[in-house]
Amino acid sequence: MLGDDLRNRASPALGEALATLRERYGSRAVLAGTGLSVAGLPTGIGGVDGLTGCDGLPRGRLTWVSGELGQGWFDLSLAILARLSTSLPAVLVDFSGRVDPNDIEAYGGDLRNLWLVHPRHPEQGWAAARALVEAGAGITLMVADRWEPVRRAAPATLLGALESSGGAALICGGQSLPGEVALRVAMEVECQRLAWTRVHRDISGIWVRLQVGRSRIGVSGRSCRLRIALPRPYFSGAGVAEAELEAEDLTLLREASG
Amino acid sequence: MSGRGSSPRLACAIFPHLALSLVWRAHPELREEAVLVGPGRRPGSGEVLLAASGAAVAAGAVPGGEWRQAVISCPDAARLSVEETAISELRWELRLALQDISPMVEWVDDTLAYLDAGARDLRWPTEAALASRLGRELQRLLLVPPRVGVGQSRFTAWAAALATDPGRARLVPPGRAPHFLAELPVEALPLPGAVKERLREFGLTTCGDCASIPLPLLQRQFGPEGLLLNRLCLGRDGATVNPWVVPPPCGVRRVLAGPVEDTEALRFGAPELAAELAVELAQRNLAAGRLRLLVGGEGGESWELITPPSPAMTKEELLPLVLSLMARVRRPVEVVELQALELVAPPVRQRQLFPSGGDRREEIERAAARLSERFGGGLIWRVAVRPEHPGDVPEERLAWRRA
Repeated sequence: MLGDDLRNRASPALGEALATLRERYGSRAVLAGTGLSVAGLPTGIGGVDGLTGCDGLPRGRLTWVSGELGQGWFDLSLAILARLSTSLPAVLVDFSGRVDPNDIEAYGGDLRNLWLVHPRHPEQGWAAARALVEAGAGITLMVADRWEPVRRAAPATLLGALESSGGAALICGGQSLPGEVALRVAMEVECQRLAWTRVHRDISGIWVRLQVGRSRIGVSGRSCRLRIALPRPYFSGAGVAEAELEAEDLTLLREASG
Repeated sequence: MSGRGSSPRLACAIFPHLALSLVWRAHPELREEAVLVGPGRRPGSGEVLLAASGAAVAAGAVPGGEWRQAVISCPDAARLSVEETAISELRWELRLALQDISPMVEWVDDTLAYLDAGARDLRWPTEAALASRLGRELQRLLLVPPRVGVGQSRFTAWAAALATDPGRARLVPPGRAPHFLAELPVEALPLPGAVKERLREFGLTTCGDCASIPLPLLQRQFGPEGLLLNRLCLGRDGATVNPWVVPPPCGVRRVLAGPVEDTEALRFGAPELAAELAVELAQRNLAAGRLRLLVGGEGGESWELITPPSPAMTKEELLPLVLSLMARVRRPVEVVELQALELVAPPVRQRQLFPSGGDRREEIERAAARLSERFGGGLIWRVAVRPEHPGDVPEERLAWRRA
């Protein structure tokens, strides 16, 4: 940690004392203002893993993928969940009521590892997420078009469960979060549509740009471009790829940006 | 090499766990304190207690047991963690040092090692010289005095090491093993608890008592374990050293039909590669501390490396790592080779005492059932593809059921 390095140079005794305290009472006994080391849960999508600064989704933390409808966050989050569900128990809390498990399967997900939560009230969704994380869910995805206020304890207890189990959680959708949820989010990743990709004039996919908006665990401002091949009937190539824009896509991008 | 004498000789070294030695090296003030040492990442539920100091063991902590149990048994102990990489480095250093003393070294675990002491070596003209050198070398690297025992069999050498104080060596001369072992209680024998219990019921409390019973009688009572009991008590349980060798590299290779430029297409083969490597690792009972993806094409070969948070062995553990490696490939590929590096013993995970059940899927099912009871049915759903779904109509493909 940079802060610790500076302190060590200024006062080796202080650095030694801090190291002793952390070893004796745990790594979180004394925290620096920045530069926490967080373990990552690799998603297998290079762009996303490189974005967070911890080689994957931060474990024990809440990550928010924000964006308006149609910006690609919905399919990106489903693709991430699908990939992780091949190796981990996955929970999807669907506040929006729009998730089709066929899409998760199309993105290569393992439905046997998926628990789908359809809450009637926001509190139910948060309580279910916490209980399932405590029981061992490795990845939790919470999807909503618009986030309703919840009790202050709901996100706090979910975060506690994530910290103790080492799981990761994604909150997806919306352009703002209620204060009690925003307080607990470690990283905000903004998702913006760059262009649609087309096959025979049909929309086949979407180019998105991801950018770290605010991060308590790493550097803000990192970005990447991804191409999401959307699930389509009679087509098995749905997925997320990190690649350069092709000439045709660039034309579309210019058209989209006017 | 010819033997030092007619009977085989074996040296045994017992030392504090490497993790504890590393902790003491960094914090000498904790030598006399109760200390619990966990794995590198923040020890939590399900983690194993790697090592504990004598004071912590006396308070009830069990090395190899669950971390949480140890914390409950010994709440005042200093809790520290040691990175696996630091332990591996020290282990490697120790093995090399021991191999310099004797070419036949068996590394049993991070607290115990056997060396062949029967080979003639001009540097150690006597067993005492070898034992002394062994003790000094271990103390130099660990900064903690070890116990050293030399005897004619594994059990004799181990018992000799255990009978001496730290920093000292005990030599049991050839042929003196039965006499040396005579006073040793039967609890120390490496035999099943039921056998020891029956020995106590018969009034046989020491190895000397057991050695005085004729072998046929022991075999009649205990079967094959009677034979082993007799051999242990007479110091004839063998002096085989299973030497440590560097594990051979482990990997799987695929030659593709032609250059593949699309990384997404490449990733379709990832589950198969991960599964094959998992089979290779399972056959050797080893886990990969690091994975390397070697890709070859017209532009030559290149490779990508990834280090998992803990050694990976199963397909489920390997697959996300393989996918992450493949995502970094940036050019047409014709040959793909996935290599497992830094092979280590599979990580130990104890079944948790407090959260019931070891399988996460079972636990999640139970949690889902509790949630359904609390909030009513219809909250949590499981989805599966219908075995005989009618056509490809998406709405009809899946069968929904309440969790």
